[in-house]
Amino acid sequence: MTADVAPAIPTTRTPAPARRPLLNTRRLTDVLSHAYIWLCLIVFVLPFLALLGYSFTGPGGTRPAQNFAYVVSSFGDNLLWSLKISALTLVINVAVSLPAAYAIVRQSFPGKRLLFSVLTLPLYVPGAVIGISLVLTYNFTYHLTTSMWGLVLAMSLGTFPLMLTPLVVALKDLPIVFEEAAECLGATRWQTYRRIVLPLIGPGLSAGLLLCFIIVFNEYLVTLFVHPPGLTTAPLRVFNQIRTAGLSPTTAALAVTMQLISFAAVLLFFRLFGTRHLKGTYLL
Amino acid sequence: MSTVRLASITKNYGATQAVHEIDLDVADGEFVTLLGPSGCGKTTTLRMIAGLVEPTGGRVFFDDQDVTFLPPRARNIGFVFQTPALFPHLSVADNVGFGLSVKRAKKPAIAARVEEMLALVGLTGYGARLPAQMSGGQQQRVALARVLATDPRVLLFDEPLSALDRNLRDTLKYSILDLQRRTAKTAIYVTHDQSEAFAISDRIVVMNAGQVEQIGTQMEIYLNPRTEFVAEFIGANNGLAGTVTGIEGVGEAARTIVASGELVLRCRSVALSPFGVGDSVIAYLRPEDVVVLQDGEAAEFENLVEGTIERVIFEGPTAQIRVDVGGRQLRADVSGSRRLSFPEGRGRVRLGFNDLTLIQAEPTNPAEPAGPADPAEPTGATGA
Amino acid sequence: MSGEVGSLAPLLPAALSVPRRRDRAARVRTLALLAPAILLALLFLYYPLVFIVQMSFTEGSSFLSPSGAISTLENYVTIVNRYLPNVFVTLQLAFLATLVDLVFGFPFAYILVRKVRYRTLVRGLMVFPMFGALYIAFGMRFILLPGGPATPILQALGIASTDALFSLPSVVFAMSIFTFPFMVLNIGTALSNVDPTLEEAAACLGARPWQTFTRILLPLTRAGLVAGALTVFGWSIGTFAEPLLLGSINEQRALAWTVYQRGVVQTDYGLSTAMGTVLLIIAFVVTYLSLRYSRGALIE
Repeated sequence: MTADVAPAIPTTRTPAPARRPLLNTRRLTDVLSHAYIWLCLIVFVLPFLALLGYSFTGPGGTRPAQNFAYVVSSFGDNLLWSLKISALTLVINVAVSLPAAYAIVRQSFPGKRLLFSVLTLPLYVPGAVIGISLVLTYNFTYHLTTSMWGLVLAMSLGTFPLMLTPLVVALKDLPIVFEEAAECLGATRWQTYRRIVLPLIGPGLSAGLLLCFIIVFNEYLVTLFVHPPGLTTAPLRVFNQIRTAGLSPTTAALAVTMQLISFAAVLLFFRLFGTRHLKGTYLL
Repeated sequence: MSTVRLASITKNYGATQAVHEIDLDVADGEFVTLLGPSGCGKTTTLRMIAGLVEPTGGRVFFDDQDVTFLPPRARNIGFVFQTPALFPHLSVADNVGFGLSVKRAKKPAIAARVEEMLALVGLTGYGARLPAQMSGGQQQRVALARVLATDPRVLLFDEPLSALDRNLRDTLKYSILDLQRRTAKTAIYVTHDQSEAFAISDRIVVMNAGQVEQIGTQMEIYLNPRTEFVAEFIGANNGLAGTVTGIEGVGEAARTIVASGELVLRCRSVALSPFGVGDSVIAYLRPEDVVVLQDGEAAEFENLVEGTIERVIFEGPTAQIRVDVGGRQLRADVSGSRRLSFPEGRGRVRLGFNDLTLIQAEPTNPAEPAGPADPAEPTGATGA
Repeated sequence: MSGEVGSLAPLLPAALSVPRRRDRAARVRTLALLAPAILLALLFLYYPLVFIVQMSFTEGSSFLSPSGAISTLENYVTIVNRYLPNVFVTLQLAFLATLVDLVFGFPFAYILVRKVRYRTLVRGLMVFPMFGALYIAFGMRFILLPGGPATPILQALGIASTDALFSLPSVVFAMSIFTFPFMVLNIGTALSNVDPTLEEAAACLGARPWQTFTRILLPLTRAGLVAGALTVFGWSIGTFAEPLLLGSINEQRALAWTVYQRGVVQTDYGLSTAMGTVLLIIAFVVTYLSLRYSRGALIE
């Protein structure tokens, strides 16, 4: 019987090594794999490091303190504007996304998928298109060109889907039995929401906050289109500086400051909540 | 505390009827269990009593108050879920006191009540712990303390023990019964586990496919099942389908003669109205009511048949003897010393029995006559 | 019994003692919860988009002139006649960046999912590109400056600095750095859904690594790859920082920047909105395709 089967399948014969080879393929691939990861990581961080180095220089040697002091003095306004705009945007995003996420997850209504697509669409529209459409609409329909709120709402529009998604994920992961138990124990809807649901989706909410903060804080593209005259956020300032004055250490210092603040926010989040809650967002 | 009355409660989900016109009266302080297989609508019914689900039709009354459309928080109920559902971010004490704090009771009053409740469930001193630090059984006890703290008028249980292991289930079910007795609250309990239902209920509501099959005490539904479903779902049963061929006697001595295959059976009838000749019926016979006679043993039985042993299953305290009688298989449960008398597991025996319960056969597919309860899967309490 | 009925009433607020259906209230509540989000999207996305599409069919800034709009297809004609290079460059850059991300991202994602244990560290460092293409472009421009840190290396390779600095490759490189994390995310998700035992089984059956890759991994992760590629492509068509800071005149024709120049600087609304519409159409086609291919919707 066996004689009939064997010839149809080709077999390869590799000689078995006598001892464990020192430089075997597996170890080599492992080393190369890790090297590849590290190479990519270095490439990611390289621009930042370059700017960091650059920010420490000046005419006649290194003067990091002065550059960064310059950042505070000259660009301080821009930094403050960035923080302010980010904070306001975050507040609006939460106010808009939290109820919407709750309705999407807990209520039943037709066309949920369509609605979710409709609401997350801003993520897929190119920034320049959002920019041009808003600047024209602001100018001629809403008359919002000179108000800070025009910029805030533009930022909010572009980023609230990034708040919505982690919230939806967090709410889906929250067993409905907790809300039912609270209701049976006599809690009103608002009490249930405030005392049970919110604390338990806290990490998801923070993930959304982190994401939105990072994006809004560093946003320059749409800002270029819609910012009111006189209101320049820090990234926009960096952009303008490069375009008008070319590269300079102080500009680099500003860019570095922005990235450090962003990185600190990320670290803080990781420290507090770990990486679980970023599922479904772009950060994980 | 409260009586509970269901009047024609119905729940439809689109075209599916989950619960169909259920009527139920629960007395104050009574412990009633809704018992049935998964999907029979018992949980849906319970949730309608709680207000977590709105009925499509019918009404729910607590005492004389129509609560049908009241939200759960206004009904003053205690609902114990399948999972303990303790709020993970709150301590045990905060969990137990939750119902009181949402009603804005004063802190000292809440603390006192929490202590009282923890003592009631035997968890004094655990107040500061978090739910994650407690075992499954402890968590469920905290859940009990939590619902009792608000002094609800009705307690509702949705299979609270099904997530626990066997030993825990046994101890905890008696704790639940004990608590219910001590607090004298009306309790409605849902389970698919017959031994649980039998152990703690005052009355049992047997449900199937959204409808009530029978309501009664343990003895009533076990000894006098009114429908095929109850006869087969509760405990193990031999079901012999046949036709009524005659009626003898009157009153207590009345016997209905049923022809089932080659057998002729003399049965008591439990129907509300007597059967007529030619009716299709199923005669049910409990395995423990079948006496397996030794060779030469004299017997005084209304029914005496002979058959061949097909299988003997030694279960420890009992032995199941499966006997082929005229093409039908009957199961006899034998206990005591008799159970050791069938070492070879084959041969011919005589079976004697008196107590057959007759139930009107439901008009089913003509292609499937109701047969004996499948010997390979005994329905009933032994498996639970 | 009837005597006790009255005693229950004071326990309940009057309104609640009247039986009332709850689903109508629930529907109103749902609407109220969704209203802010829907309003925001409608007012600040959908209406403005409609607005600019309308405007794209008018001449110059005639849409807003008191004498009324002159409707015309001229803007689109102009795009075809004069701005096709811009469209082409935009697509070209996006395509190349996507390709780079695919080629380098797949191994990265694979190693990350299958082999690396210090994932948190990697994720921590992976956020840097996401702070913005601007900083990446800025940093790279600095690195590639003549006389800058990269000059010695480039000289050794025989490349003039200016060639490296203002060129297509550096723009594509910067663009792909920015979108790399998105690609890795998509591929990583798809890979983590592939049972590692499948690869082991293939190896036991005698498959060489390349064969396992092409015949097992690629087909199974195809959805994630496509979704990642389309996401990256969609992002890339809308950017202008990298082309501006790192590109030659050719790259600076990227549509996003042209929209700004024609629209905001030169107020030729008709033309710029037409370009915006073209960008929008490209983005929508890409998005539609990516959503069709993406794994598992978040909403059932």
